[in-house]
Amino acid sequence: MAVCIAVIAKENYPLYIRSVPTQGELKFHYTVHTSLDVVEEKISGVGKALADQRELYLGLLYPTEDYKVYGYMTNSKVKFVIVVDSSNTSLRDNEIRSMFRKLHNSFTDVMCNPFYNPGDPIQSKAFDSIVSTMMVQAF
Amino acid sequence: MSVPDYMQCAEDHQTVVVVVQPMGIVPEDQFFRIYKRIASVSQVSIRDSQRVLFIRFRHHYPPENNEWGDFQTHRKVVGLISVTSCTTAKEWLQTSDRFHGQKEVFGSTLYDSRLLVFGLQGEVAEQQRTDVAFYPSYDDCPDVEKRVEDFVESIFIVLESKRLDRATDKSGDKIQMLCVPFEKKDFVGLDTDSRHYKKRCQGRMRKHVGDLCLQAGMLQDALVHYHMAVELLRSVNDFLWLGAALEGLCSASVIFHYPGGTAGKSGARKPSVSSAADAGKRHRPGQCIVLSESGEKYYKSAGVIELEACIKAVRVLAIQKRAMEASEFLQNAVYINLGQLSEEEKIQRYSVLSELYELIGFQRKSAFFKRVAAMQCVAPTIPEPGWKACYKLLLETLPGYSLSLDPKDFSKGTHRGWAAVQLRLLHELVYASRRMGNPGLSVRHLSFLLQTMLDFLSDQEKKEVTQSLENYTSKCPGGMEVISLPDGLKLPPVPFTKLPIVRSVSLLNLPVSLRPHKVKGLLGQGLSSASPFIYSPITMHSRGDERSKKIDFQWVQGDVCEVQLMVYNPMPFELRVENMGLLTSGVDFESLPAALSLPAESGLYPVTLVGVPRTAGNITINGYHTSVFGVSSDCLLEGLVGVKSSGCMVEVVPSLPRLQLCTSLPRSAHLSSEDLSTSVSLQLFNGETQQLTITLENIGTETLNTLELTSKTLSTKEKLFGEFLTWDLQDALSHLPLKSGQSVSIPVNISAKLDFSGQESLLNDLNDDGISVTGLPVSSPLRQVLKPRTENKPVEGGGVEGPGDTLEAVLTFKYSGGAGQVEGYYRELSLGVRVDVEPSVFFTRVSTLPATSTRQCHLLLDVFNSTEHELTLSAKNNQDLVLHASECQRMAIQVDKLDFDSMPVTDHDALRQATVRQQEEKRQQVQGGLINSTLDIHWTIISFTERHGEASVEGVLNQLILEHLQLAPLQWDVVVNGKPCDCDVIADCRVGDAVPLEVKLTNRSKSAVGPFSLTIVPFQDYQNGVQNYDLQDAVTFIGSNTFYIGTVNPTENSVCVGALLFLYTGDFYLNIKFQDDSTARDLPPAWFCLPSVHIKAQEPVEL
Repeated sequence: MAVCIAVIAKENYPLYIRSVPTQGELKFHYTVHTSLDVVEEKISGVGKALADQRELYLGLLYPTEDYKVYGYMTNSKVKFVIVVDSSNTSLRDNEIRSMFRKLHNSFTDVMCNPFYNPGDPIQSKAFDSIVSTMMVQAF
Repeated sequence: MSVPDYMQCAEDHQTVVVVVQPMGIVPEDQFFRIYKRIASVSQVSIRDSQRVLFIRFRHHYPPENNEWGDFQTHRKVVGLISVTSCTTAKEWLQTSDRFHGQKEVFGSTLYDSRLLVFGLQGEVAEQQRTDVAFYPSYDDCPDVEKRVEDFVESIFIVLESKRLDRATDKSGDKIQMLCVPFEKKDFVGLDTDSRHYKKRCQGRMRKHVGDLCLQAGMLQDALVHYHMAVELLRSVNDFLWLGAALEGLCSASVIFHYPGGTAGKSGARKPSVSSAADAGKRHRPGQCIVLSESGEKYYKSAGVIELEACIKAVRVLAIQKRAMEASEFLQNAVYINLGQLSEEEKIQRYSVLSELYELIGFQRKSAFFKRVAAMQCVAPTIPEPGWKACYKLLLETLPGYSLSLDPKDFSKGTHRGWAAVQLRLLHELVYASRRMGNPGLSVRHLSFLLQTMLDFLSDQEKKEVTQSLENYTSKCPGGMEVISLPDGLKLPPVPFTKLPIVRSVSLLNLPVSLRPHKVKGLLGQGLSSASPFIYSPITMHSRGDERSKKIDFQWVQGDVCEVQLMVYNPMPFELRVENMGLLTSGVDFESLPAALSLPAESGLYPVTLVGVPRTAGNITINGYHTSVFGVSSDCLLEGLVGVKSSGCMVEVVPSLPRLQLCTSLPRSAHLSSEDLSTSVSLQLFNGETQQLTITLENIGTETLNTLELTSKTLSTKEKLFGEFLTWDLQDALSHLPLKSGQSVSIPVNISAKLDFSGQESLLNDLNDDGISVTGLPVSSPLRQVLKPRTENKPVEGGGVEGPGDTLEAVLTFKYSGGAGQVEGYYRELSLGVRVDVEPSVFFTRVSTLPATSTRQCHLLLDVFNSTEHELTLSAKNNQDLVLHASECQRMAIQVDKLDFDSMPVTDHDALRQATVRQQEEKRQQVQGGLINSTLDIHWTIISFTERHGEASVEGVLNQLILEHLQLAPLQWDVVVNGKPCDCDVIADCRVGDAVPLEVKLTNRSKSAVGPFSLTIVPFQDYQNGVQNYDLQDAVTFIGSNTFYIGTVNPTENSVCVGALLFLYTGDFYLNIKFQDDSTARDLPPAWFCLPSVHIKAQEPVEL
């Protein structure tokens, strides 16, 4: 269902980015990269008004003609971005949320790996397979 | 209307448009000078009122936009100022006609117009006309501004009258239907009398009046009119106009709240209502929502209007810091389709989007659109692509992609960023700069790409990038200079620190033979000035820091010095590094560049960079320079990551001479332990001596002034007799100073003298032949003495040489000269000498046999030839002995007994320090040497005449034999008949005569001896083994046959005298025997070796 899933470090560089191979990879890089503007704007707004809110889900970042971009940020300011096809109207907000939760759980597992150096690109196979299931389901 | 004004902002609703155009041929620069002066009058306060009129001046305005003037009055061109050149009166008429023609273009909307004529003088110019102003030249027109102000005022009057006209016209009977261009045909055949229609007309008119009020500076009135218009239009669902009314309403409130303006050009607009800002804050959110609604809902049919509304809204929201909403507007603006846009419009559109995104803090979006704009500049459909503009726009996107063009920012650790996106951008920069015709720039960008993005490039990409880099550099080699762009951006140089990657840098010491050494005395002075203590932890710590980077060896001026780098090639192909050299400071350094070729994905690869320091001092290695793919780069060590370095500062001492050493013998492999420049090895038979000629050539530039030679024998388990290496340096020293290129020869004698004592096994074998070993009388104590010798042997000669014993020694030449000598430096050149010693002869057994004389004895040597050759053995006073291979023969040598005590005692101090045992050994050694020199035994191998040597008995002799060879300290002299008797001396006497016998004891020992008693026993030897002692009737003693000698003190002597009477003729012997006496027992038996006396008694001479 997702066409692109990305994990972005606190310092806004990608730790992991994977997209559907059929389409231009670079395009998704651009999409995710520019979506960070919105993420930043959203979290700066949250910081001011809703400091105590525990909601990690940032919602729809922005819709483009072909895709919808959703964001999620962990408490350690690591961001997850999921890009889904706009034509896929069956997806509900709840499903997106559960995808993020799954992603977050898997990411936590990666961080628990004592051999993983925080800040390095994620190369975990387990994480990769979780991402794969999320990307494949729709097809 | 097809041309959107991307610079629109809310305040524009308040302004009137005045077009300023050139007419005929007007120089562009002159026109814009005048235009600027005109445009400076952008707001005019109207006399007798508080109101201000704002003017937008345009030098270009599409007439189709003018057609929307009824819809929004700020789009209407109300004034025209034409600028023209006119030199003669004839042209004037023509000009005037053209001015009228120009007015026609905007004719329907113009309120007023002006013509500025430049260059015309004379009567025509004299005429006073309100709509024409004459100036003699472009430089001489002082009252242009005044004229424009007048003109604006006249516009205001028209505007005000229109406003009043429309505002008061409330009868509503016949209100003109205002409409936008595309609506016109919709109204054909519509019932103009219907209520709906009338309401529509009213609403539109109300909105129009609002516009006019706003323009005329009546802000409050405008708000009222807009509100009424909104009500009216909403009721008739006239959405387009409703939107316009709302937009007007919003604009008016924005103008009210932000008197400073929303377009960012705050200076252009003077705040007229200062107190309004505070009051407005409460209303802000509501109004903006209205503004957004107006944009989104009502302008579906008019894209340009919608787009402009969006832009206006974004500008307002940006001020309010509501980025999310602004981004939604922009997102919307992106999707507004304006139909076919020209390329130029596209570029403009994207740049404006980028600008607006930047305004709301969306750097990445901004960068994205800027990049799109850049790409649009060079779209394939454009006949003349604007590479320069593209490049400029691309550069502006760099911050958005958090990319700087300074490689230093990337030197810290692994690069973290949007590599794929950044890579793309860099590629585009490279391409754009190349198409711009600036290859230097593209080389710089490409090297930056290669250097910083290396980790993200695939193997294929690496190949492609380097290939294109090589293509570019073939035209324009890359260097280390900073490239400055026209707009002030500076591109710092990109050193290729990753091509190849350097892992460690270590300065190498000079080869052993070239290392400078400090003369000890001078070194001591240096230390003492630093600290009075030999060791102090405090001074060590304080020096720690300054020393940390300095290396504790020195380089020498004028000599080739080396630095070793461990490098590896990260590329999947062979990397050719050219012109690789060192970067240094502190000393003139002539770097000798190297070219190397590193195999693909090489492991660590050592590279040695060399250079010659030309002056003395401290040199610091700062880095290295390379030339890779045609890009030369200076890589400084401090900027490198993960480089191990043991320090990069080293002292260069002044130049020293250089010696090259050749020897007469062939060189050999180095000796085991020592660090040597050269070494020779040779094979010698034990005892052989060979001469080695060493030739030293001064191959340096400095003159050699001093030369010293020392040798050191490496510890060997073999006992070595005599000097291993001997030389004479005098001849060589007389040649000094040695100029460059000259040489000197030094002969060195190598003699190998090891233990010649035989092997145990051999000894046993040889015993079988039954040769009597001692040859001493049975009574001699030597018999007992020799037995322990066999037990002693394994200890004494434990390492008896098997074949292939080696001796090693190092000859060290210390030399100095030139400037280095002044500074107290010298060099050492060492030559290792290795000698494989082959056994020559062995002395398998040694014994002594007393000679006839007590002062002499026979030394019996069993000599074994262990070589494979026949050899002859010769000793002093002895005939040659020929020995076949592996043959053993006995050799007897008559030796004068030696008086060891009279030998000079060599070194008293040394003796005192040594232990008793060492003293003993020393003495034995000296005695052995003395005996050896006396014996002087030589062997010669017959088959090669040149091979000859000596055989030393030193190691063979043991204490007992030495004692036998020693002249006893008690000297016994027997005088018979006034004739001293010894050995074979036969004393003659007459029968019947009394023969006086005198026995004299001289004590040379260090202690008193005696008393002794001697008994003289005569006997006759029949020479057949029978000795007749029964001589009572043949010999009689006159007096006692027993002598008594009292105590003899050292150096004294004692004489006892007796007499004999021979009764018969014959050969008699006298055996002088000691009476058993306890005191004599303590002394060695050899001390009591009295000569046997042979007396020949003859017939008395008959007279």
